[in-house]
Amino acid sequence: MNPRAGERGPREAILERLAAAARPTTLPPPRIWPQAFADLATRFEQALTAAKGEVRRVADLAGAWETVDGILDEVGAKAVVANGEPPIAGMDLPARWPERRCHIAGACGGDLRAACAAADVGLSGAAAALAETGTIVVASGPTRSRLVTLLPPVHVALVPLSGLTADLFTWTAARNASLTADAAMPANVVLVSGPSKSADIEFTLTLGVHGPGRLIAILYDAD
Amino acid sequence: MPERERVALCVTCLVDQVVPEVGVATVRLLHRAGFEVDFPADQTCCGQPFFNSGRHSEAAELARRTVAIFAPYDAVVLPSGSCTSMIAVEYPHLLEPWPEWHAQATALAAKTYELTSFLVERAGWPPAAAGRLEAGRVTYHDSCHMCRLLGSREPPRELLRRCGLEVAEMAQADRCCGFGGLFSLRLPEVSNAMTGEKLRQAEAAGGQMVVTADPGCLLQMRGMAAPDQRVEHVATVLDARAADLKSGAEASG
Amino acid sequence: MTATLPQFRRRASVAIADERLQQALDRGTGNFRRARDVAFAELPDADGLRDHFKAIRTATLADLGTYLQRWEANASAAGTRVHWARDGAEACAAVVEIAARRGATSAVKGKSMATEEIELNQALEAAGVTATETDLGDWLVQMAGETPSHIIAPAIHKTREQAAELIGRLAGRVMPEDDIPALTAAARELLRQRFLDAGIGITGGNLMVAETGSLVLVTNEGNGRMATSVPPVHVAVIGIEKVAPDWDAAAVWLSLLARSASGQPLSVYTSIVTGPRLPDDADGPEEVHVILLDNGRSNLLGGEYEEALQCIRCGACLNACPVYGEAGGHAYDSPYCGPIGAVVTPLLFGLERYEALPQASSLCGACREICPVRIDLPRMLVALRRDQEERAITPWHLRWLEGLAARILASPRRLRLATGLLRWLQRPLRGRRGLRLPGVLNPAGDRALPALAPRSFRQMWAAGELEEAGS
Repeated sequence: MNPRAGERGPREAILERLAAAARPTTLPPPRIWPQAFADLATRFEQALTAAKGEVRRVADLAGAWETVDGILDEVGAKAVVANGEPPIAGMDLPARWPERRCHIAGACGGDLRAACAAADVGLSGAAAALAETGTIVVASGPTRSRLVTLLPPVHVALVPLSGLTADLFTWTAARNASLTADAAMPANVVLVSGPSKSADIEFTLTLGVHGPGRLIAILYDAD
Repeated sequence: MPERERVALCVTCLVDQVVPEVGVATVRLLHRAGFEVDFPADQTCCGQPFFNSGRHSEAAELARRTVAIFAPYDAVVLPSGSCTSMIAVEYPHLLEPWPEWHAQATALAAKTYELTSFLVERAGWPPAAAGRLEAGRVTYHDSCHMCRLLGSREPPRELLRRCGLEVAEMAQADRCCGFGGLFSLRLPEVSNAMTGEKLRQAEAAGGQMVVTADPGCLLQMRGMAAPDQRVEHVATVLDARAADLKSGAEASG
Repeated sequence: MTATLPQFRRRASVAIADERLQQALDRGTGNFRRARDVAFAELPDADGLRDHFKAIRTATLADLGTYLQRWEANASAAGTRVHWARDGAEACAAVVEIAARRGATSAVKGKSMATEEIELNQALEAAGVTATETDLGDWLVQMAGETPSHIIAPAIHKTREQAAELIGRLAGRVMPEDDIPALTAAARELLRQRFLDAGIGITGGNLMVAETGSLVLVTNEGNGRMATSVPPVHVAVIGIEKVAPDWDAAAVWLSLLARSASGQPLSVYTSIVTGPRLPDDADGPEEVHVILLDNGRSNLLGGEYEEALQCIRCGACLNACPVYGEAGGHAYDSPYCGPIGAVVTPLLFGLERYEALPQASSLCGACREICPVRIDLPRMLVALRRDQEERAITPWHLRWLEGLAARILASPRRLRLATGLLRWLQRPLRGRRGLRLPGVLNPAGDRALPALAPRSFRQMWAAGELEEAGS
């Protein structure tokens, strides 16, 4: 909105009021309460399972892919969308699943949104994971679609053990390698701590309101 | 024989005019605990209802009166958690604009006690748990100012147990009974609904009576209680049990 | 929207008589309270965390302009378009203008108290933009033509039968009343298409992080993610007080918010929005707008009510409040109900309009006890009552009676005379359980008022009856 000539705009007016009320103060020195867990993977599994998510633990990436195969069979997935990020970028999905339609964000042309809306499963990696709260961190990027992990009814996330950190405090303090203080923030970062849920109708828990009704995290050892 | 310590009784306006038996029981308990009790007759009201209504100059006037009346004493005891919190927690803030009064109010706050806290912490009374008394079961309502502003939940329960009573806990013992002073007259429907809920929860806990340490809560609950639901002040309950204790000891001693 | 004392009493009475609503309130607030207690017990140092958060909020508000400008600079650098709105009208105008420029005729909305506050849906409708609420509870409430009755559980007052009827109407078929998963699946399907077709996604915001110019949304259903990722334009409306200086502070904030609200350590989705999609991103909105809403908040800064702006809208105070628990949210007739509502509503929207709210409290302190930021709501309720007295907003006859009582209590002699008179007057009214007053004359409604005792304590003392009592 353009202020009339001589009239202060909303921004100036508000800032003037705020300046008038300001007093010299210092913020308290930063404090965090990081937690420690005997085994991060165990804690992660407990927390995500309690939030109605599912966790599969496998020895290595090969085992992780076999688990994905199993899940796709289980749900009878005809269409899959996937983020073209590591470790998915290293796998030829159409070759692995010739009988299923595959759309890979960042690697395919075509209508990503339509593919996500029609997909049975969305497959992603994870920028990081938080053990305390069973959280998977997904971030946006050229090969990281937001809709892949949001529109399909099932979200499968490949989570390397090396990406597990204890909790939110530890994560923000350390500024995980994929979100360094120097690098620009991705446009969208989501801390996903379970499948979509609501208890708005008579406090009855129901899953899959708008986001995926199933969240499956496959924990694998990348080394 | 060593001279007995003296305490002043701030009886509270509700006890004075509506349930004086609570004041009588308080005096008797303090005597049993080995104290002389003074009652400065000039006292009237601590001013809390006016403070809560936002009438702060009137509240301050009553606060100054009260501070002046009780300043000479070493200890002031009240049979009311809310009036105690008014003096012990609120007076210093209320009288901040008057440095002299603020200093006196701070001094008074440090020596003002709710009855059950005084008996347990200062007087160490009663000395031992009773074993010879007829068993009884009560439930206890935590009044808001006492549990939240004074942080006091254990002393009344402890005293009831020492007098041989079982204390059955009701659900949400510290949920407001609905009194809130003038709130109970300004919004009677909500107030009464809160009291109804409190009495239902007390009923469900079982016990022969609901016990409270606050005259306001006492009168509020009595006003809605069914004919067979007894609501009593902790002072009258303890005094009655102490009388039984004493006569029991005399009989067997 | 108003709440005079008679209005509040009337609405509260309706709520109190509504058996189903009372059960829902008991169940809902009880569940939230218990879950909150469990979640807090799991924290290694809950008190330390709350104290630290209080210090952060206090320091932030003491210099809010600095942090807002820092946030604005970083947000703008990331491509967010920042708008400042002094009041609801300016905020609505900004949103309408964005929609008009984009040619958007449909909007999907995530939960936002701020947009309720400025009545954005009505402004959009008037400008030819349909706005569909997408939070399941808000959507049900919107379809019923009602307003939310709890800050985080807006449809706490609706039954499954009512939900089935509302969804069935829209779906064009009869919905089973007892099959909540089926109702949910129908809602998902109906709203999914709205998301995909919408030209604009409108949300609120739980907090801003100045360090990176980010906006954070805390949700459970996924509609927040949808509204911020599916439509080509995302618009957020957020109060100016919702700033965290940096990510350490934001971590403290997020550790307390979902725990206090519903007992979850984190909500299902914590979305961190920092600008529109980057040029090479796979998807995301082309435009992100954030509208900073003042609407009376800056008036509270620097004064005794500044503390009210520390609120993070968790709703815990509602769950603790026995007045809310009986009267329900609609009695307040404000987007902000419960204890925090009783304080901010008169401050933001007018003390005369909402004269009942500062009175609608027994000052029990349960709200202050549960508040993650330890906001002293009872202190501010008493201050608002003082303001009401000073501005003569309370009825004159009540003020006169209180003044009379104060004068009587200031003198033992006047007290003796007044209570003597009352004792004489009450004689025909004394019953077994107090005063027997006919219903219409009884200010306490169904409750029996006590009578004065035949003799006062001071009379007994003066008569020497208590000398040896109990020795």
